[in-house]
Amino acid sequence: MPQTPVIGHAPDYDGRMIRLQNVGLRYDHGPHVLRDVSFLLKEGSFHFLTGPSGAGKTSLLRLMFMSLQATDGKVQLFGKNISRVSATRRAQLRRRIGIVFQDFRLLDHLTTWENVALPLRVVGRRTSDYREDVTDLLQWVGLGDRMHGYPAVLSGGEKQRAAIARAVIGKPELLLADEPTGNVDPQMARRLLRLFIELNRLGTSVVIATHDHQLMDQFAAPRLEIRDGNVRIL
Amino acid sequence: MSASYDDRSRGYARDPHGGREPTTGRSLSDALAEHAGQRGHVQNSTTADQRQGLPHPDPRTQPPSTAPGAPAATHVAQPAAGPLDSGPLIAPAREGGKRRKGKSGGSGIVPAESVTGSSLTLVIAIMCFLACLTAGAVYLINQSAAAWTRNIASEVTVQLQPLEGVDIDKRTTEVALYLARIPGIAQVTPLGAEVSQELLEPWLGEITALDAIAVPRLIALEIDRRAPPDLAEVGANLSQRFPGAVLDDHRQWQSQIRAVTRSMALGGLAILILVGAATMLIIISATRASMASNRGIVEVLHFVGATDRFIAREFERHFLHLGIRAGLVGAAGSVLVFLLMPTMMQLLGGGQIGVSEVRRLIGTGSLDLPGYFLLGIVVVVIAGICMLTSRFSVFRFLHARH
Repeated sequence: MPQTPVIGHAPDYDGRMIRLQNVGLRYDHGPHVLRDVSFLLKEGSFHFLTGPSGAGKTSLLRLMFMSLQATDGKVQLFGKNISRVSATRRAQLRRRIGIVFQDFRLLDHLTTWENVALPLRVVGRRTSDYREDVTDLLQWVGLGDRMHGYPAVLSGGEKQRAAIARAVIGKPELLLADEPTGNVDPQMARRLLRLFIELNRLGTSVVIATHDHQLMDQFAAPRLEIRDGNVRIL
Repeated sequence: MSASYDDRSRGYARDPHGGREPTTGRSLSDALAEHAGQRGHVQNSTTADQRQGLPHPDPRTQPPSTAPGAPAATHVAQPAAGPLDSGPLIAPAREGGKRRKGKSGGSGIVPAESVTGSSLTLVIAIMCFLACLTAGAVYLINQSAAAWTRNIASEVTVQLQPLEGVDIDKRTTEVALYLARIPGIAQVTPLGAEVSQELLEPWLGEITALDAIAVPRLIALEIDRRAPPDLAEVGANLSQRFPGAVLDDHRQWQSQIRAVTRSMALGGLAILILVGAATMLIIISATRASMASNRGIVEVLHFVGATDRFIAREFERHFLHLGIRAGLVGAAGSVLVFLLMPTMMQLLGGGQIGVSEVRRLIGTGSLDLPGYFLLGIVVVVIAGICMLTSRFSVFRFLHARH
């Protein structure tokens, strides 16, 4: 078996963040979206996940986020084999992950403030404990005046920022972002990138799925390229 | 105003002077503020990269407005109206729909209207109404039956068969005097021939020639409930001493009344079980529908780390409220029926005689305090069924998805 490529800033790290070993994925009886994928992402690392549209970037992110089960191979997250974890354990692992969806996935019936506070609410924290944190973060992302509005009135960029705020409010150890700049102009994309870089500097491992080469050229981070179901490191 | 996200364990730090400043130099707040620079949140134009040596973007790929090597944040901190931020950030307060609750996250994560609609509330209210009516009716009948049994148990009757050549009136007096001496018999009342005839009239009609029939005489005995006699012994001694005298302790009546009330109670219980089962099926169906219609919300909740138990709680909370709300409406309807029962009996029961007969059967038709308490229990049970059934259904739904 070929040696698993190691990527990241901490070579002595035992690989507890994300490890994929000979992972294959296909939907129902269709062709393999991913085949024999192996890599190890270190704690505190920053990666772009790239490839042409339909190459399987979102599928790979969904594997890492445990919303898909690998057809073959083994996926380890924080040192746990996620194919064997219970639903409760999976929820606990997800609390350590922040995810930014391509389509934001904000809840339309909740205000922006409530959307951002959602990860804290589901872990049972009292509103009084996080009220200021959420408000502060919303002000930081420029949504201070929008916090009581509903997602329906937010622009694409504002929704993007709200989704990012929701992903980072719980101080995740791992941030997965699926085309986080897909709906914004280059200037906003650059700002969002800098936000992710700063999160990474604070210790969060970051994986950004994008096919925006202009964005990737702005920051020298390792790239995982998916092509024909295989992942290679650039 | 800026705040710092300075420490993974401490989270955001607030400046004691009222403003918010980074506590570790380069912090997330800077980046976030930079991100929101056009909103005027950033007071400091020093770049984050300059302060922390952050890997700098390749100068060749910098936007034309940023000179190579120039501080990136200088560019960002200046008010810049990008396409995404060109519109006013302050929206009309009611834009995009009305606010449901305060800003502190009080809104239900799962919207109530998507789970429990008015038609569902009405159906559950009807179910509760039927359950309360059944429970109340069974309670009333049980109460009346208990009263009958008490009355019957405190009275016994002695029948004296007419014997040829024996004066029945004299014999009746002898037996009555004998019985009056027995301890535990509080009162002895010999009933005349006319009373026996009156008792037979409902069965035989008004017959003038009834005098020609040898009708048994009756002696009513009232038992001292505090020190009742041994009726079996009394009956045996009586038959031995006075041939043709039979003591009837109404046991057959009592057992028949018990059998009837027990049957009614079982019938009522069966109806209650059916109502409960129907309520459960309705709630299961409603829960599945609401889970399906809120699939997106459930997915997001899972993605932000909600456990199945948390999600089930969100749904069951709505169903509990539904059960209480609908249960109270149904119970209120049944209380109204029981309050109006005497009047309804008057109107529908065929006049005063019919009313008195119905009252003999089920009492006044009005519930007493324990009866209303029973209706309260029905409401609690219906609400509990709604809550537990929805929880079970949500768990099954989620388990099937895992």
